[in-house]
Amino acid sequence: MDLSYTEEQLLLRDSVQKFISDKYDISERNKITATEEGFSRENWQLFAELGWLALPFKEEDGGIGGTPVDTMILMEEFGKGLVVEPYLQTVIMVGTALSEAGSAEQKAEVIPSIIDGSLIATFAYAEESAYHDLNYIATSATRDGDSFLINGTKSVVSNAQSAEKILVTARTSGNIDDGDGITLFLVDANHEGISREDYPTVDGLRASEVTFTDIRVPATAVVGDIDGGAAIIEKIARRAILALSAESVGGMEILYTDTIEYTKERVQFDHPLSDFQVLKHRMTEMFMEYSLAKSLCMKAAMLDTQDSDEASRTIHALKYLVGKNGRFVSQNAVQLHGGMGMTEELRIAHYFKRLMVIDSQFGNTDHHLARFVA
Amino acid sequence: MDIEFSQEDLEFQREVVEFIEKNLPTGMDVWTKRTEWFEALREQGGWDVPKWPAEFGGPGFTPTQRYIFDMEMGRRDTPPIIPFGVGMLAPILINYGTKEQQDRFLPGIRDGSVFWCQGYSEPGAGSDLANLQTSAVLSEDGTHYTVNGQKTWTSIAHIANWIFCLTRTSRDGPKQEGITFLLIPMDDPGIRVEPIITLGGAHSVNNVFFTDVQVPLENRVGEEGKGWTYAKGLLIHERTGLAGIQNSVMALDKAKQAARNVKVGNGTLMDVPTFKNRVGELEVELLALEFTELRTLASVSAGGDPGPESSIMKLKGTEIQQRITQLNLEASGIYTAPWGSQAVGPEFARGATSAYLSARAFTIYGGASEVQKDVIAKNVLDLGSSR
Repeated sequence: MDLSYTEEQLLLRDSVQKFISDKYDISERNKITATEEGFSRENWQLFAELGWLALPFKEEDGGIGGTPVDTMILMEEFGKGLVVEPYLQTVIMVGTALSEAGSAEQKAEVIPSIIDGSLIATFAYAEESAYHDLNYIATSATRDGDSFLINGTKSVVSNAQSAEKILVTARTSGNIDDGDGITLFLVDANHEGISREDYPTVDGLRASEVTFTDIRVPATAVVGDIDGGAAIIEKIARRAILALSAESVGGMEILYTDTIEYTKERVQFDHPLSDFQVLKHRMTEMFMEYSLAKSLCMKAAMLDTQDSDEASRTIHALKYLVGKNGRFVSQNAVQLHGGMGMTEELRIAHYFKRLMVIDSQFGNTDHHLARFVA
Repeated sequence: MDIEFSQEDLEFQREVVEFIEKNLPTGMDVWTKRTEWFEALREQGGWDVPKWPAEFGGPGFTPTQRYIFDMEMGRRDTPPIIPFGVGMLAPILINYGTKEQQDRFLPGIRDGSVFWCQGYSEPGAGSDLANLQTSAVLSEDGTHYTVNGQKTWTSIAHIANWIFCLTRTSRDGPKQEGITFLLIPMDDPGIRVEPIITLGGAHSVNNVFFTDVQVPLENRVGEEGKGWTYAKGLLIHERTGLAGIQNSVMALDKAKQAARNVKVGNGTLMDVPTFKNRVGELEVELLALEFTELRTLASVSAGGDPGPESSIMKLKGTEIQQRITQLNLEASGIYTAPWGSQAVGPEFARGATSAYLSARAFTIYGGASEVQKDVIAKNVLDLGSSR
């Protein structure tokens, strides 16, 4: 066994850390989230130049062939910097779908443009009545000769306003929540008949309600097998959960270390807050919960290359633990900062909100605990 | 022991319920018909100022009537009273103010024409409130104080007409003993208000800066150096009032309704065992807290002290309020994220995120939970001071 990072992994970590410390302090980040698109195209180009956009793609697709552990390292640092650029949507979610299930033509058309930073893509999977069930899909795709007609509305689609391509899940057969009968389509975001309602999200990102009205797409837009989309969705979800969890672990690290720093400086009752035993213990607990989440994140990332039951169970365990521990660490970071923790002025407020949103994506704590014990 | 209210109290309860049913504006009217509502309360015999004694125009409720009144109001969406004037300053003026101060300030507080804010917390005086440093220096001729310093977390300072302030008039002796209670108009040119934007994105609290603000002697409440004693009684008042049990009962009910609207598998979110159990735990704790409040009431009605158990009300009550907002957040699912003015997702999900965020302050303001526990350990359990 060897749980140390390789030379390349350390270099990757250092380069992301350098980017964050040079270009991504909280005031820079706030400037970026206040822009129209909510992220920086300039940073995105830099990600391309640094090879980060190529990281998880296979070498035969023009990528670097990085492992899930490499992605974890990158996302953990992104989490520490609270990075808002659409890496998860474009590289992890749409990238995974194409790598795993895309046709040769689809790969050739899209992957190079993702890697060179010229194309933003997003994944439209959530629906209003689905709660956390990714297979609950009312959006329909009906066959009409050689093409399909897509109808329906997808909710909280991240960065849809900036995306050129949207990967959408639709029902081609079966009942509304069947695993069978789901098909994935890769469509142009500016296709006639697609309308959007854009809005900011509480964590500073952008999302949209995206409505598809009689969108006619050719059969070549299908990603993977017709009616066989559930397996691809599961794969995307697994990678997204790994990425979000690593991001959350990075966020927890900032939350507990910022709290330690703050309590050392803040004097009340003639002593620094850090002198009070009840607060020392609380911060120790925050550190414990962070450490456990980080451990499970590492384990899940290392198991990801296996297609085992243990790997999927670990993913459920991870998303559950990250949700629960992230909440504990966030809530106590705010509590121990007192009134200051309630202001937008300190960065911990922004981490708090990001971790809260992470728990709401790809299944919350209850959802994954139920699947873990099933 | 008798678990039922007396006949008289039950009659009073019916009276309150009937009054609410007759007068409570519903739906959108809750905001537009506020004035009519308070007018009706006033005509009922001082119900608009339930805490005030009869000689000051209040209803002179017995403790049990007061409890019943608060409970029935809390159970329904009654228009909230802005607490700082009616609930917080008025009792101090009534107990410690001069006749002139009472005549001058109470009418404006009561009819809502004058808004008050509370100037207690400072950057260096949060949980350790007695550490406050805003200075008030008495002029040589003894006619006025000159105030310099900063208050923070001041709710509604940006719309308030007046501020009631704790200021430091002496640095000799224990810090609690050099504090003086002053009333200051917010339109003084020496006062500057800066907004603080909080976690929920809202602007309700502020920083308030004082530069050479002249306050005439007649705006001092009570004696110089006794402000802490006056305010402390009020803070205890604030802490019990913050339990918000009936509001929580109502909020939990709404959370359950929301969860029943969330389809999960063949059932709803209320059928998900982990979620349902959390709802159940909260219901049990609320039942127990409700009866704890009744024990306090029984003790006070019998002419005794509130009893040691009253100290847990704010701690437990605020923790429960936070957990209820978390249930709503969970029910809102992916709609946790949407922010801003767009109406997105199911009705019940809107506002769930901002409520959850705002609720983080409940265990901080009015004395952080950690400090409350210290106070209980020291004063109730006799465990001495801790660090």
